[in-house]
Amino acid sequence: MLEKLMNIDRRIIFILVAVVVIIPTLIPVNLPTTVSEPTQKLYDYIDALPPESTIIMAFDYGPSSLAEPEPMAKAVLRHCFDKDIRVIGMTLYANTPTLADNLMQKIATENNAIYGEDYIFLGYRPGALQVILGMGTNIASVYETDYNGTAITEIPLMENITNYDQIDLLLDLAAGSSTDAWIIYANTRYDLKIAAGVTGVIIAQMYPYLQTGQLVGLMPGYLGATEYEKLLNVPGDGTIGLNTASFIHLLIIGIVVLCNIAFFIHRRREE
Amino acid sequence: MRRQVPLVLCFLFGIAMIVTQFSPHSASQKVYEEVIDWNLIIMPFVLILAVATLIQTHLTRIQRRVEHWQYSLFVFAGLITMVVIGIPFGPQNSAFEWLYNNVQVPMDATMFSLLAFFIASAAYRAFRARAFEATLLLISAIIVMVGNVPIGDYIWNSVMSWIPLEDGPTKIRQWILDVPNLAARRGIILGVSLGVISQSIRIILGIERSYLGGGD
Repeated sequence: MLEKLMNIDRRIIFILVAVVVIIPTLIPVNLPTTVSEPTQKLYDYIDALPPESTIIMAFDYGPSSLAEPEPMAKAVLRHCFDKDIRVIGMTLYANTPTLADNLMQKIATENNAIYGEDYIFLGYRPGALQVILGMGTNIASVYETDYNGTAITEIPLMENITNYDQIDLLLDLAAGSSTDAWIIYANTRYDLKIAAGVTGVIIAQMYPYLQTGQLVGLMPGYLGATEYEKLLNVPGDGTIGLNTASFIHLLIIGIVVLCNIAFFIHRRREE
Repeated sequence: MRRQVPLVLCFLFGIAMIVTQFSPHSASQKVYEEVIDWNLIIMPFVLILAVATLIQTHLTRIQRRVEHWQYSLFVFAGLITMVVIGIPFGPQNSAFEWLYNNVQVPMDATMFSLLAFFIASAAYRAFRARAFEATLLLISAIIVMVGNVPIGDYIWNSVMSWIPLEDGPTKIRQWILDVPNLAARRGIILGVSLGVISQSIRIILGIERSYLGGGD
């Protein structure tokens, strides 16, 4: 029996994972969420910005990891459009422009935001560090046109924007090391305020920056998206995703604890 | 000559960029802006190099009929299809967008989703309290996992209500992230930064030459 518990066939674990993912996704449970301080700080910062402020949203994730950053992006975009804050979208990832452009269009349509006035999407340019540094000097030197090919000098939103001096916040939605690059090159050199929404696996790396104030706020994966949705009072993909994650976490903890109990008993007997 | 010229250029540009970092003089800033512009021009060529390397690697695999060479045909099929549609018609072309949304996005998401299954299986096999350090890791991991999802607080507040600590898992998780995690991360960042500085000085001074190739 103990041997069996310690050596469960991985196919059984796979089936359990599938069941635990599918059922809560189909039948969502409304679990109470407490808003953590890093997410609250980001919300408060954006909420305190006056109308017609401008933020940059960097969609630095690919299709493989969109499940976590996308709900965060949606929540923050809704907040910005609601507060009349202008959003400049961009990405340091070559395979993200279509994804980010579609997402911005979708949320803008839902909130009656107008392209060119309330938001724009600049797209992708190669050379992440050069893009970050170049935009600090002159955004138009890096992005002469937006994603649609319109010269950015002809876009009303960009009329009074030259570089980071006119940007109130950069929110990096990241699935990799891009937030470190934004902090090192844009915050340190140009004093640009940075916030981040990152996937769960890299959240621990962000805490030193949060403590030093180099990050004004931080959304930790699904949890961050859910917390932001709670602050907006608009449940969305984050809440659904976090519910599913809740049960999968419980399953993993359950099988790990079970295995360890069996392991302890087995070791005692052997001794 | 093939080695001296890159070494001299590396030295000159390295020193120039250090000076621009510390000098606010307009001439220094002009140099900085100019170098950034050059970099922006150079970067697209890196993509060309990357595509050329990809083609070369997979062409060789097909020619030599190495194991699973058939997959390289799919690389070319994907590459050619996206280039043929993307370059003349642009990334907003409906066919390009359809392929992206209905082929690349689901495939990428599927690959990443498989991780959930493998992580569950790996956690079950690897997370065993064999030693004190492993036990510590196990306990921390469980607390952070429980604290990361609302069901942790829900169970704690329902079952452990006799303990005067509301939302216990979230608070303990936050402490783990704010104190031991932060201390360890800061140590790592300092170590890496010192390593980067010393390595950069070695490259600028021409002591470290492996980036030139040739093995010395």
